[in-house]
Amino acid sequence: MTSVQELAYLPISELAGQIQKKDISPVEVVQAMLIRVDELDPTLNAFNTVFRAEALTAARQAEADIQRGEYRGPLHGVPIGIKDIYECGPTTCGSESLADYVADQDCTSVAKLKQAGAIILGKTATYEFAYGFPTTQSYFKPTHNPWSLDHDAGGSSSGTAASTAGGMAYAGMGSCTGGSIRWPAQACGIVGLKATYGRVSRAGVYPLSWSLDHTGPLTRTVTDAALMLQGCAGYDPLDPASADAPVPDFTAKLGQDIKGMRIGLLRSLYEDNCDPKLLGPYNEAVKKLEDLGAVVIDVPSITLTQMQAIEWPGLFADCATIHVNNVRNSGDKYNPHAKLFVAYGLLVSGAQYLMGAQARAQVRDDLLKALETDVDVLMLPTSGFQINTIQDKSPGLSIVSKAFSVYTPIFNFTGLPAIQVPCGFDTDGLPVGFQIAGNPFDEATICQVAHAYEQATEWHTQHPDL
Amino acid sequence: MDNKDIIAAKLAEWDLHLTDSELNQLVPAYENLIRWQGTVEDMLRSRKIANGMQFPESEPIFTHTLDKKGGVK
Repeated sequence: MTSVQELAYLPISELAGQIQKKDISPVEVVQAMLIRVDELDPTLNAFNTVFRAEALTAARQAEADIQRGEYRGPLHGVPIGIKDIYECGPTTCGSESLADYVADQDCTSVAKLKQAGAIILGKTATYEFAYGFPTTQSYFKPTHNPWSLDHDAGGSSSGTAASTAGGMAYAGMGSCTGGSIRWPAQACGIVGLKATYGRVSRAGVYPLSWSLDHTGPLTRTVTDAALMLQGCAGYDPLDPASADAPVPDFTAKLGQDIKGMRIGLLRSLYEDNCDPKLLGPYNEAVKKLEDLGAVVIDVPSITLTQMQAIEWPGLFADCATIHVNNVRNSGDKYNPHAKLFVAYGLLVSGAQYLMGAQARAQVRDDLLKALETDVDVLMLPTSGFQINTIQDKSPGLSIVSKAFSVYTPIFNFTGLPAIQVPCGFDTDGLPVGFQIAGNPFDEATICQVAHAYEQATEWHTQHPDL
Repeated sequence: MDNKDIIAAKLAEWDLHLTDSELNQLVPAYENLIRWQGTVEDMLRSRKIANGMQFPESEPIFTHTLDKKGGVK
């Protein structure tokens, strides 16, 4: 490894100490990231915009502030990426229809991260409006997976995942309506944290589904995820769903053991349909948690079909509400299948939408009851199928089929916090991960369990050979 | 009226007009959507009251209520 590579792959928790002690300057850190971006991004295509001059200016300011003794905390001077649906300078949403849009102010979560001292390195690639897979024919080209360049990086927070996994940024922000933080995090072998619904502001982030959208970080370690969440969490009057709940120290339980902790497995969702290539590493992770003293318990839950039947009609009905007029006006500038999903959402009846919302209440209450009486956290794989290769043709409406077996939506429509943690590789060398979910507003406990697993394994120390 | 015609008619209500190829792609997804409608309906809990009538046991939520409950155990 060169020194730039070593610097690039430091966890934020270590980099921050060096910045605070003035062993390294934020200017050196940003310069190293820009070298990595110049070397790697022509191949990975993780950034839609790089804020080269702005990042260096911010780094010089951070350096001066720290020299004066005005250190703001662990994100001070740390370069991060921001998914290109967050309003912050040029904001394309990965769509030709917004190729020239420049936001005139930062959205709340970006403003908070800047306040915490983070340096915005650039805007990261996204599936179009956070749902329309790009193909080689798209206006914005697909992001390549750092572990296998022929493969997609997952989505929709593709660029954030690939830039973080590829050592072009220390972390980044993604958004998640059905799994768009945890799924690309799995695909790129990193950590993705979807906090409780309402924990992180969505104001100024282009919506996909008001009741399902979450924002949150993708990082290389669990500690870094907790640090990033600390920097962006909190009540925001500009977001109607924002929770006026206290913001605790999300790192408070890191390092505490998990002896006796009860982990509930939602087997009915995955056991009869998960690809053995992913189920194998997942089952090993379950054993590892048992070795660490956790007690594994089965928790009755819904099936994959039931989860899909609740999630996708509701999501795409919301999506259609948001996009129908845009599609009427600029449909030719959407990816072909992105336009089709808007039509699909219009086919959902009002009664079907409301029944889905009723079922959401039932599933949420069942999980809350299990968390109250039987278990401390929930666990299941992140997805039941492996990431696809990059496509030349439109994939059509593949998301709304049984084969698209991501297990992430259950925590979008229940709103429970969930974290994805890498747990190895499949037989093709692609990353595999699992999810830990927990009680509303108790992100500290899911981070505790994820951290205990992470520290007992070495997956987080492995990086793609780029 | 087959499903393709139904889809075209429903979309026309929204002033959205798709090509034949686009409509063809929507047909299997629409048929699955109808199946999912039955899946969700079968999940909904209710209690029997009288004369075969049922009283629903859950109300639609949009998770916004979750944050109002809040709190950590």
